[in-house]
Amino acid sequence: MHLDLSELSQLAPIFRELFKGYHVSRRDPELYAQLSNFQDQYRTLFKALGFELICDTRGFYYFVPDLAAAQVNKTAQRLALFTFILVEHLADQGRDPVAVLDGGSLGRDELPSLLEKYRDLFLQAEVQTQEELEEKIMRRMTQLGFASEEVGIYRFLPPMHRFLDVCLSVQQDRDLAASLHSDLPLPTPVLIDDDSDEKLLQTDDPLDLAEFDETEETEEQALARAIADEQELDA
Amino acid sequence: MQYNCRFYLPTSGHPMIEPKRVLRALAEHWALLEPLCEHFDQGTLSLSELRLQLAAQQLESTPQDITNLLDVWIRLDILVPVAKSPNRFELNAQIHDFLSYLRREHRLGLCLEIEAYLRHLERLAGYIQEAFEARDANDLARQLRLLDMRVRDVLKKLANDEQALVSVAERAKTSDRQIPLRQRYAEVLATWDEYVEPMIQLVNADGAFEQGVRKVENVLLRMLTDQQRLGHLVDDDMLLRTHARILEMQTSAQLTLRHARELLLPLREEARRHNAVTRGAALALSAIRRRGIDAVPQAAMPMFTRPQSTFLGSANQVEAYVYALARFEPKPARFPKANLTRKGEPAQAPRTVKEMVERCEEALPMPDLMVWLLEQEPTGATDELLYWFSRLSREKRFKRERLERREYLTLEHRVSLRSFALLSSKDATPENSEGTAHAS
Repeated sequence: MHLDLSELSQLAPIFRELFKGYHVSRRDPELYAQLSNFQDQYRTLFKALGFELICDTRGFYYFVPDLAAAQVNKTAQRLALFTFILVEHLADQGRDPVAVLDGGSLGRDELPSLLEKYRDLFLQAEVQTQEELEEKIMRRMTQLGFASEEVGIYRFLPPMHRFLDVCLSVQQDRDLAASLHSDLPLPTPVLIDDDSDEKLLQTDDPLDLAEFDETEETEEQALARAIADEQELDA
Repeated sequence: MQYNCRFYLPTSGHPMIEPKRVLRALAEHWALLEPLCEHFDQGTLSLSELRLQLAAQQLESTPQDITNLLDVWIRLDILVPVAKSPNRFELNAQIHDFLSYLRREHRLGLCLEIEAYLRHLERLAGYIQEAFEARDANDLARQLRLLDMRVRDVLKKLANDEQALVSVAERAKTSDRQIPLRQRYAEVLATWDEYVEPMIQLVNADGAFEQGVRKVENVLLRMLTDQQRLGHLVDDDMLLRTHARILEMQTSAQLTLRHARELLLPLREEARRHNAVTRGAALALSAIRRRGIDAVPQAAMPMFTRPQSTFLGSANQVEAYVYALARFEPKPARFPKANLTRKGEPAQAPRTVKEMVERCEEALPMPDLMVWLLEQEPTGATDELLYWFSRLSREKRFKRERLERREYLTLEHRVSLRSFALLSSKDATPENSEGTAHAS
């Protein structure tokens, strides 16, 4: 394919945003229009650079990471958990969850009651206070292009379909339903690691080197590997 | 359907009501009857409720006027008492249907009704064939008329049902978006199950509709041929007209069904998807409650790309970390004794990012980040200072402006880099420079 870089006038900002994990949707009209008009060119170019551009027909673009480089992603888990909670909370309130998450909005003033009601679940995502909820979940949602925030109102954007898809695939996952009634362990998610900013904010160790973990090794595995390497060197 | 008989046919117990008088009364009292239709759509009304409704519409009328009006309606069979509740009234079913037609209100019928009509058409086809074989021209003409009228009934019903389906879809789409979808689309789901699904079966190639149409069509076509051979009992045009109407009915049924699917299928899918989303979320939360946040299967989770970490970390740090990891030995915990006092200065706890970001925020606006860091941590190791420089300069709460390259002296090294002036992101002008610091 012939690539005319002069056509790709938004290449730099598009790449910068996608590279950060941002989802480009119609909320960014210029970038979105560029990607829509030159979808194949962008996809080819990014592919040559080792990035897979996903063009979701529901109106958004994002980079999907290389599976080999994937790690457990706390952010993805947190955002998925938040979606599950919100769906259940809205359904409990007699509101339409899909209408809210597909272009609808949520007031910031609704967060405290949500946190209170699902405290036990939020705790699993290391979210205990409203500040943490805003910092670790809502801010990440806006940073990644899943939502936008204006004057205390969060508006959910088309990329939220990725989390609604999670709900659907969980619903179709008979293994998961069956495992709820058995003691078999569930598979661990293989996901990309967090953005360093957030991780560093939550840690108490200023030299937190979790970023340098290349695989999803446990501490024991890492230790065993290091010892084995050393013994090999000694030998 | 006793009112049907009373309205149209003289029966021994009920005198014939003159149609003109009924129509005149309907025309004359239309303004009063039309609002009442809505109430009668919901159910029956007691005499006192009726009087109240009418009084509200006719403020200047006396109770006697209202009594007279009701008396006229009852005498004309427009209003009929509800069986076993003589004090409650409803609209005569025929009048009610007529008013609904005039008000362009369509109530969805039953698919079974269409099936019953079709069965009747099949029977009529049988009678037509018998009349033809018996060479009974009068009976044949009568049966053909009946067939034609029955086909018109089906067409009328299909047109009514189509309008009713449009209303069902409109009600679902325009109702309050805040109420649960299950509730909002209840009518759509019920309509699908009770009307569309049986209609699909009915209009199927081997369904009752197609079978009935084929049977009638065969009889009519065979009769056309036989008439050529045996002589005409009825006009060919009449047979051809009936045949054309049968085909129109078939096309109309298919169009109604297609329209129904186009209207309701997306809504039904939306409702089903909505149910699946809600159920999926509940299932996932249940799994997470039991097994923790890792319980959601990996295949289901969305993956985000993440930029490679751009914060500085010296090779020494990595080496020290791996070295420490390799040399890791569990130590028995030693608790300090109560009678011993600590010797020397207590070790300073490492600074957390949160702490540093807050301190930095307090010191805004900051003309030079590196200078500030050296003031804060005069004895800090170079790699730590560079780490903080990198980390704080990338903090999103701050806006940065790149400075000229210059040299800074740490405790152990001389560092050359392009530092940043930091401002609060709230009151700074946007700065797009992505310049990074280069240490040497």
